[in-house]
Amino acid sequence: MQLSPFHVLSSLVLGTALCSSPALAEMTGTLNLNGATGLIDMPSGDAQEDATFSFSIGNIGPITRTTLSFQASERLSASFRFQTWRDWDSVIPGDAKETDRSIDLRYQILKEGRIAPAVTIGLIDLTSRGMFASEYIAATKTFGDRLKVTAGLGWGRLGSYQGIGAPFGSRPPVDPTGTPNADQWFRGEAAPFAGVEYRINDNWTLKGEYSSDAYLLEDGERGMIERDSPFNFGIEYQRGPAVRLGVYSLYGSEVGLAFHIILDPKSRATGGVVGAAPVPVKARPARAADPEAYDGGWVTQADAGPILRENLAKRLAADGISIENLAYTATTVQVRIRNGRIDAGSQAIGRTARALSHVMPASVEVFEIVPVVNGIGASKVTIRRSDLEALEYSADNATLLRERITVTDAGAAPAFSLGDEDLYPKFRWSLKPAVRLAEPAKGDIGLRLSGSYDFAPGLVLSGSIYKPIASNRDSASTSTSTLPHVRTDSGRYNEFGDPALEKLTLAWYAHPAENIYSRVTFGYLERMHAGVSGEVLWKPVNSQLALGVELNYTKQRDTDGGLGFDEYDYDVVTGYVSAYYDFGNGYLGQLDVGRYLAGDVGATVSLDRVFANGWRVGAFATVTDVSATEFGEGGFDKGIRFTIPFNWALGTDTRRGFGMTLRPKSGDGGARVDVDDRLYESLREYHTDGLDPDWGRVWR
Amino acid sequence: MKPVAGLALLAVLAACGSEKSGPNPMVSAIGAMAKDSVAKVKARKAGGKSGGKSVSVEERRAALEKAGKPILRVSSTTLGQTGFLTVLDAKGDVLTWKTPDGATFSQRSGVLIQTRGLGADLMSAEAPSVGQLMRAGTSYQRIYYFLGDDDQGTRRTYDCTSAIIGKESIEVLGRTHHATHVSETCERPLGKLTNDYWIEGTSIRQSRQWVSGAIGYIEFQRVID
Repeated sequence: MQLSPFHVLSSLVLGTALCSSPALAEMTGTLNLNGATGLIDMPSGDAQEDATFSFSIGNIGPITRTTLSFQASERLSASFRFQTWRDWDSVIPGDAKETDRSIDLRYQILKEGRIAPAVTIGLIDLTSRGMFASEYIAATKTFGDRLKVTAGLGWGRLGSYQGIGAPFGSRPPVDPTGTPNADQWFRGEAAPFAGVEYRINDNWTLKGEYSSDAYLLEDGERGMIERDSPFNFGIEYQRGPAVRLGVYSLYGSEVGLAFHIILDPKSRATGGVVGAAPVPVKARPARAADPEAYDGGWVTQADAGPILRENLAKRLAADGISIENLAYTATTVQVRIRNGRIDAGSQAIGRTARALSHVMPASVEVFEIVPVVNGIGASKVTIRRSDLEALEYSADNATLLRERITVTDAGAAPAFSLGDEDLYPKFRWSLKPAVRLAEPAKGDIGLRLSGSYDFAPGLVLSGSIYKPIASNRDSASTSTSTLPHVRTDSGRYNEFGDPALEKLTLAWYAHPAENIYSRVTFGYLERMHAGVSGEVLWKPVNSQLALGVELNYTKQRDTDGGLGFDEYDYDVVTGYVSAYYDFGNGYLGQLDVGRYLAGDVGATVSLDRVFANGWRVGAFATVTDVSATEFGEGGFDKGIRFTIPFNWALGTDTRRGFGMTLRPKSGDGGARVDVDDRLYESLREYHTDGLDPDWGRVWR
Repeated sequence: MKPVAGLALLAVLAACGSEKSGPNPMVSAIGAMAKDSVAKVKARKAGGKSGGKSVSVEERRAALEKAGKPILRVSSTTLGQTGFLTVLDAKGDVLTWKTPDGATFSQRSGVLIQTRGLGADLMSAEAPSVGQLMRAGTSYQRIYYFLGDDDQGTRRTYDCTSAIIGKESIEVLGRTHHATHVSETCERPLGKLTNDYWIEGTSIRQSRQWVSGAIGYIEFQRVID
């Protein structure tokens, strides 16, 4: 055979998975110019499929809206939007460009039934200055499998054209900015909007709508567009499930363009977990047939340990797994592994168990596999070798094996174990291109030189230097914050730190007692703050709840990225009590209460939706005793964050991913020192709540 | 410096370091895609026949026999792709066959129960024995286990019956075999599938079996025992 058909086959499967069109019968909601489920500029009563993550760029003449949206549950969705108005100075002199960031929330209160329409209530731009603020209720009904009709009532911007009166009273101005503008919601003039959507075929859709947005800001006040008509028309083209384009005639005067990337975090872009097949489990001879093979006498041989470890290391190296420690008796082996590449804990454990079945003498019946993270044993998975042998080809082998294994606290490394002289001490370094994004497509690219020195398990010195090469950041504006500038001088750090020592730390991780983990990090913790950070976490391996405390003492660093502390005379003690809870189905909650970098006292609530394949989308909000005016335009600290694993998108064996945290406005209140490798996230993957969702990969 | 120039510079800068960490995932993915398209073009030129060129069926069989190993021919009609697989693992009545690039197919007496390395893999299966297939008319349950949405375990359960179509002569790489054609029909509320087997004595000589939603059907021929 000259070519490798199954490579071709898997790539074709990938192609099909990416390009197969959605079934005609299902007609999920489409996205509008604002990156939200809707028509052209108007929203609709529809929702996206659960977990849909979309990135949209909508252009309306001189206005550009870049939006990230996430369908957080079947009914709840949220958006984060960057909006830019060009020609801002066409009537009123001033800046040629204005920008704004906004957050939307939508909740589908009624799903479409045989007779009932889908009904959604939405809050658009609910916390900022109100330049894009509106609220709506919209109903959408599908007729047949091609036609959708939407009607709704809007307030705010969506109530600005041909209003029908103010049913809930007048709309007060936004004050203060940055907090939820609850006293505005559904107040003021309300106006109806409507639209239709007709699907010609899987690829093409026609849309038409009557808009209730008068564009008072853009037309009346700023004169950047002319709104001659309330009617918008357009056509959209869907290419595969992931790409959608739209061209529209807007308001009788403008051309609108929309581009959407629509991702489903639950389904791998590669159509499944890719990578080579595992090595089959090696079957031992039957005890009756070969009783001598089961003799445990081999443990007394002096060279048995090194030979076993070498053989095992060779097998595990194929999967990027290295051995921290190996300890054995005639019947039990404990191997402590470091998983460098496989993106699922369960698969790393399965591969290790398979390798052990080849290497360990037949008398060894119990495999204890301890994944090690930062030198700490995260958990201990105990597998009986006979179960592994018996279940390899059984139906539903994943469920059956899960019932027969145990996941327990890792405990300390056994006293008589073989460490790896190649791992400690060990120096590593790398020089890699890197990207630092401030928002989508804005930031800088450069080079990062990183190094680390492992002294012993859990004791590591590491550092990195970043040298920007090119940047398209806006020039740094001077912070006007009345609080200590613990975060708002980031522009100065970007500008003057060229190159900058990002961090240089000595960290010590330990597992001092059952269910208790600890971390102490000392040095230049991040580019703005240096000092010492300590953390203790209580997290039983089978518990949904974890509790932690953190205490930090930090001094603010100079903006030039050097070692000095002369520019700011600022030091602070911060600390938090944290509770982490796994609600199941991938929803993780976290509550931190404590003292933040500017000396403010308050609490942070965060909620993340975590997918077993590594996707993560979440939101956080911090409220402290800093007043909204002191915090600045943002009111209080809040934002969204997401991580997209490379493995999901490309199928390559890597644990790395692309992640971002986005805030409408950053201020100095509610800020935390940014320390690497906080305990909870590093350990969770190997505890039952991290292992179980994709446990099936133990056989992959 | 202009951002474009910076990007170009980044593109030529390969990451370096002390660790032989895997290649840049983006670069290797693009490489794999390019390789695959080349392979596809080659496959098209070869007219869907493996090897292509002027190797006759007899020569190919002779070459395979010389190796003295059992060979399973696997092909997917929709893709026009064929591969000759060797045994990686034999345990009881389960044989696991391996493709040169690391995918595997496990069969219990010729009935497919697992695949690995195809992306949308069949993780395990409750599948009929050859004896069950030969008992035409009796119904039984068949369960396919996959990794589904978000890598979570998922299953498809079917109610199946088999029917004996009749004796047929089939050609397997230049050899004629006389086999009983058995067709297995499986249904569930959401769909239906049919697996076909050509059974010679008590073993499956040739089959066309469903693998998964994304892969569809694959044909197997036991070329050399």
